[in-house]
Amino acid sequence: MRRCPITTYIIRRLLQAIPLLIVISMVVFALISLAPGGPMSAFEENPNLTAEDIARLEEQLGLNEPIYKRYLKWAGHIVQGDWGYSNATRRPVLTEIGDRLPNTLQLMITAFIVTLLIALPIGILSALKQYSLFDHVATFFAFVGQAIPVFWFGLILIIVFNVWLNNPVSPSQGFAFSNLWNCGDCKPLMPGGGMAPYGVDDPTLGQRIQHMILPVTMLALYGAGTYTRYMRGQMLEVIHLDYIRTARAKGLSERRVIVRHAIKNAITPVITVMALELPLLFGGALFTETIFSWPGMGRLFYRSAQRVDYPLLMGIVMINAVLIILFNLIADIAYAFLDPRVTYD
Amino acid sequence: MHHRFRFFIMLAAVALLALVISACAAPAETGGEAAAPAAAEEAAPAAEEGGATIIYALYQEPEMLNPLIRTQTAAGEVGHLVGEGLIATDPDGNYFAQLATDVPTIENGLVSEDGLTVTYPLREGVVWSDGEPFTCDDVVFTWEVATNPESQAVNTTGYNEIESIECPDDYTAVVHYSEFFAAFLGTFRDVMPRHATGDPADMVNWNYNWDGFLGTGPFVLKEWVSGDHITMVKNENYRDYPDKPLADQIIVRIIPSREVGKALITSGEIDILWDLTEADVPEFEDNPDVDVNIRPGPGTERLLLNLADPTLDATDDPLNNPHPLLGDLKVREAIQYGIDKQFIVDELLYGATTVGSSELSLGWAKCDIPVSEYNVDKANALLDEAGFTDEDGDGVRECHDCMYAEEGDPLRLKIQTTTGNQLREEAEQLLLEMMSNIGVELYIENVPSSELFGSWSSGAFRKHGNFDILMYTTSDTIDPQSQMDGYFSADKMPTEANGGNGFNYVRWINMTATDAIKAAGKTPVQDERKADYQIACEEIAKDIPHLYLYDRSEVHLSRSDIEGFDINPWDNQTWNAQDWTRK
Repeated sequence: MRRCPITTYIIRRLLQAIPLLIVISMVVFALISLAPGGPMSAFEENPNLTAEDIARLEEQLGLNEPIYKRYLKWAGHIVQGDWGYSNATRRPVLTEIGDRLPNTLQLMITAFIVTLLIALPIGILSALKQYSLFDHVATFFAFVGQAIPVFWFGLILIIVFNVWLNNPVSPSQGFAFSNLWNCGDCKPLMPGGGMAPYGVDDPTLGQRIQHMILPVTMLALYGAGTYTRYMRGQMLEVIHLDYIRTARAKGLSERRVIVRHAIKNAITPVITVMALELPLLFGGALFTETIFSWPGMGRLFYRSAQRVDYPLLMGIVMINAVLIILFNLIADIAYAFLDPRVTYD
Repeated sequence: MHHRFRFFIMLAAVALLALVISACAAPAETGGEAAAPAAAEEAAPAAEEGGATIIYALYQEPEMLNPLIRTQTAAGEVGHLVGEGLIATDPDGNYFAQLATDVPTIENGLVSEDGLTVTYPLREGVVWSDGEPFTCDDVVFTWEVATNPESQAVNTTGYNEIESIECPDDYTAVVHYSEFFAAFLGTFRDVMPRHATGDPADMVNWNYNWDGFLGTGPFVLKEWVSGDHITMVKNENYRDYPDKPLADQIIVRIIPSREVGKALITSGEIDILWDLTEADVPEFEDNPDVDVNIRPGPGTERLLLNLADPTLDATDDPLNNPHPLLGDLKVREAIQYGIDKQFIVDELLYGATTVGSSELSLGWAKCDIPVSEYNVDKANALLDEAGFTDEDGDGVRECHDCMYAEEGDPLRLKIQTTTGNQLREEAEQLLLEMMSNIGVELYIENVPSSELFGSWSSGAFRKHGNFDILMYTTSDTIDPQSQMDGYFSADKMPTEANGGNGFNYVRWINMTATDAIKAAGKTPVQDERKADYQIACEEIAKDIPHLYLYDRSEVHLSRSDIEGFDINPWDNQTWNAQDWTRK
């Protein structure tokens, strides 16, 4: 019986993923359980809680059983599709994640698209005009973007655009350019965080976009640095190859050489990197979310780590593990579509 | 050729999907009316009703609001915008009747002579925010849930001592105690509605714990967006409506860090910023738009000096297994003489608080203990006397004929506090320097707070007594009994035998203090209790199991156009939110 090789390949990879996921879950579960302090440390400083209260709570949460028993219990539930309840909020794990995931995707995917829209053209142009002024400036900013500590940069964005600069339209005097930095009753130029203005029942799309500008800037500056350098490097490699010279010798227009021959080949590895990065978008960005009060997955994960909230931590980790495995597979398949030299065996 | 583009199509599909998802997350009405011009967007959202919208920023998100399970201060801040209790405490530490009409005392006859029966006359005509009447039955219900073994209630102190609650009529609650419970007035700080909750055995799943939370207080929970904000609007069934609450809406905004909060209150994006430290004060002193609200609080930053051998696991016999260095009282006295507490207050806290002297620094039970003296000569003399001298000339004293340590062992102690706290790290540096002046070497080994405050069963070193010196703050509540008993009674050392019960981590055994504390817990007469606590405080000052560094102040910022914010060191800052307004 002959099968399509790619189907066999996908099935084999998916089957291989199962033991991998089991090992991941065991290692992570053990690490969480070994974390010093334990889930009960949040209650220790409360003089109204006696040791009996804490012991009772530990029993109710099933924390006083040995690790392997707790793991088997958790695993038994998870295969039946029961993700359990957060120890901290006692809400279902999937509710907790479901509340945050759309917010994270909204921010991360926008930032990802903006990053690519900035980075890919700059990277390509930079390579085509190697050692020009444009190239130097672009490379400089690419390094700066990667070198600036994101936490510091986010705070600077807030201080400049929220604390220092005002909206130039004053409610009392109307528009004046000087209102930007000197105005008694003006609103800040940019919101200092959150997803929409507070106290407004139905925020408009414009308001929501405005709230995304600073956090997306923060993410895109960092991401663009990486992709610009990567795209430039790939492009430089390709344009010195023989087939480009051949294309030119054939008398093709420069535009056609670059677009049809150079870019298409240079972008293949960049796309693989992008596919590998996609699952990271689900994890959110802790620093950006923290600075801009964005209610996303990064902060949820951080909070549950602090609280040693293992059902929630396990839920987030396992979802991420599945996504990473899945997108790795997609990247491998995509690579073969894009590069016919790759085969599956 | 075709295959190559399939991937781009796939990628585009992923991007499109993302846009759809993000659009779903945004329930914005874009159809119909034109979007408001961006310039006008954030202008006075609730102007149409005349009252104010006040944005109250917390750097911690409540996990849940149910008063029997919530343990975070932030959850109390939010909970007390909505919920009320029978008795509460005002900023000066006086009890006042909230849903009761009088504060029970022996004098007014509402507390029996033996303190075992307490009668609460309840306000008539009070309704829950959904219109149902509040009655004695809700008080009974609160107690039933707290003591139901299935309910998973956490804050059960004070409820377990109650034998029964009688309701002679809807507006009288008579509470019978099986044993005297000193802090009885704090028990019903919150009451829960029987009709709007559920089966006590299923308490952890009640919708009441989250966005179904309701009470008799000034505000109603309208919306809770996880990780972002909680919107509270005026309760139209509040007993003082329409005079109060003065504000239309209070939006509790969750900000993930204090640093961001400080920027946002400067730009006016938030109105009140909760819980800063003394070190934040100078930054805002000259800012005309921001008021610094500061008031001494009941917390005291202290050093816990381990009196027992730190190599043993939770010994129950510290007298025969003393700490080799700190077990000698002269060493503890020398350490106290060697610390210039006023310098720490002036240098690190900008003089915004007072030097610490006793466990009870505030409230009716306040102890009268003089501030310790800073005297390097006395410290050196005491250490010489104790047999610690520096004979090898390395600047650190070592044991030469001292009481407990091995001959030649250096006077070297580990100091530990929570990581990531700048104030504490700077204080440690000063302490290091002050101690090296008297020939004592301190070395720092800080740990995350979850590790420092870990539980007995997780093997936390504080509980098990494996430390030399710890530094942190604890605060007593308006009734100090549980704090005093837990930290200083001889039977409250966490040991294997008592399952790790108690906070006497330093393993201090002083029967004069223990007896006084136990006596204070057995009488309802306030003057007697105060005298007992004074005895305990004096013993602490003599033996120095805890060395008090400085009293903590409550620091909260508000925009200068906010009125009515009044710091309450004994309760949540939302205790009087019905009086908050904008000029």
